[in-house]
Amino acid sequence: MHIHKRTFGDWALDIFVYGFMIVLGLVTLLPMIHVFSKSVSSDWALVSGRVDLLPVGFQLDTLATVVTSYAFGRAFLISAIVTSVGTLLSILVTAITAYPLSKRHLPGISFIMVLFVFTMLFNGGLIPNYLLIRELHLINNLWSLILPAMISVFNMLVIKSYYEGLPEALEESARIDGARSYTILFRIILPLSMPVLATIALFYAVGFWNDYFSPMLYISDPALKTLQLHLRDVVMENDTANAINRSADDLMNMSPESIRAATVVASTVPILLVYPFLQKYFIKGVLIGSVKG
Amino acid sequence: MNEWITPLKEKAERNDVLRKRGSRRRLVWRNIDTYLLLVPGLLLLLLFKYIPMYGIVIAFQDYNIFDGISASEWVGLEQFRKLTHSAEFMQVFANTLLISIYKIVLLFPIPILIALLLNEIRFTAFKRTVQTIIYMPHFLSWVIISGLFMTILSPSDGLVNAVIQWFGGEPIHFFMDNSVFRSVVVFTAGWKEIGWNAIIFIAALAGIEQEQYEAASIDGASRLHQMWHISLPGLLPTIILMFILRLGIVLDAGTEQILTMYNPTVYESGDVIGTYVYRTGLGKMDYSFSTAVGLFNSVIGFILVVSGNWFSKRVLKRGIW
Repeated sequence: MHIHKRTFGDWALDIFVYGFMIVLGLVTLLPMIHVFSKSVSSDWALVSGRVDLLPVGFQLDTLATVVTSYAFGRAFLISAIVTSVGTLLSILVTAITAYPLSKRHLPGISFIMVLFVFTMLFNGGLIPNYLLIRELHLINNLWSLILPAMISVFNMLVIKSYYEGLPEALEESARIDGARSYTILFRIILPLSMPVLATIALFYAVGFWNDYFSPMLYISDPALKTLQLHLRDVVMENDTANAINRSADDLMNMSPESIRAATVVASTVPILLVYPFLQKYFIKGVLIGSVKG
Repeated sequence: MNEWITPLKEKAERNDVLRKRGSRRRLVWRNIDTYLLLVPGLLLLLLFKYIPMYGIVIAFQDYNIFDGISASEWVGLEQFRKLTHSAEFMQVFANTLLISIYKIVLLFPIPILIALLLNEIRFTAFKRTVQTIIYMPHFLSWVIISGLFMTILSPSDGLVNAVIQWFGGEPIHFFMDNSVFRSVVVFTAGWKEIGWNAIIFIAALAGIEQEQYEAASIDGASRLHQMWHISLPGLLPTIILMFILRLGIVLDAGTEQILTMYNPTVYESGDVIGTYVYRTGLGKMDYSFSTAVGLFNSVIGFILVVSGNWFSKRVLKRGIW
């Protein structure tokens, strides 16, 4: 390292850079801190508008009421089921489909590839999709949230390019021994592709968990509402007691604002808990996807 | 000499073609197990992507659910005529373009700036903390983000209006006021994605050779000069590619986002093509008309993406496919 004298310009740049990042970080955190403080502040402090950044009159009753409410628990469970079943099936089908498509020398594969990629550029649109789901009698059926989302062409391309980077020799020796392609796929290719499969599984999981559009279109039965639909009911409706299925008496000391804040917090916590994994794997996925795909 | 070689060559080539045709079939047959693995994926693709594409024909009908596609009356381009004569649709189209252009002009440059500035930070713990914080909103759903901002922007007890009132201003009804609703949409979209969108530029910066900076530094170039003359040119291909990709989705102004945020009082400023299709199609059951609106949207989107890619391949020698 050569010695570099810090000039006035260096100092000015550093002050700007650090200042900018601190402001950016604060702007990102502020809405979350504010809502969190509201969810754990006492109702009188909330109603009199005294909660800005820090909790006033700390209490956990509202959060406890929200989390233990029947509607929240049911919605949480339904989202968990859709996310786990959906992710499992999606990753399976996507990983299987990507394998033949990585064999570009086989006749017809490039044509089938075009069929897949074309759907990234053009789609039928909202109404034809809705009419199809209705024809299939999947309205108010949780499969309507899973089946249409099961194959994401983008994710498939990422996995395909990973397969293409694996050494050819591994497969060939298995083929000489007479192994069929599904044996090769499940015994050799998939175990070697665990890093990319984990990343794509998380892509799918976050997609299923956060999906609001499909449940809004296809689910109207209250018993099948996902967490995002439930959250929207609480956030948009004035009658929060009704939205969380509690009688007004139970909620004597809880204003709609505090219930709203507590529901938002309770729905954010699961994401924050898995965020360290998400951050690590997602960045990898974004970078693989940008190199090829 | 060539005269007698040519017929021989032709014969050899013809034999080659014949052999290839035979071997093609044999190649398929020998790898039939590989082809069979395509079945589940192809079935899903046909059922959930291509059948809805066939469903687009209802844009040229006066569709009703009882008759179905086969028996509904064909009306040609009637729905599209209605669309171009609808003042409501023109407003929606204008809203879409306005919100999209605001998002591009105001939000596209920020991730580039973030990447350039993060690149100047040598204090790694600070850098990592900032990255961890600014990537997080990407993982929150739009419903959660709406909930967060409806709380902080609340006219009665939100933080922002508390500050406005402290300075002596009148509280603003951010989600009810047509003059500010678009700004709320653009700001919250930025809040969710600017940090995340910086990742691709950060990776591109990491690919620039360190020697370039060292050489410039020995020549006495300031860090600002290095940013301008080394980092920014190094980012340029990525910037252009991302910009083209962004233009391709200019007609998607954020349907899911706006659906979680808007209400009838702000339809005038916030209703965009995606939300309009939803309202007229499923709300008013005007299936054919809203399919026509959706088709109009898909066709323009398709043209934009394909021509953007063509342009990128010609100019940058690099495309999306």
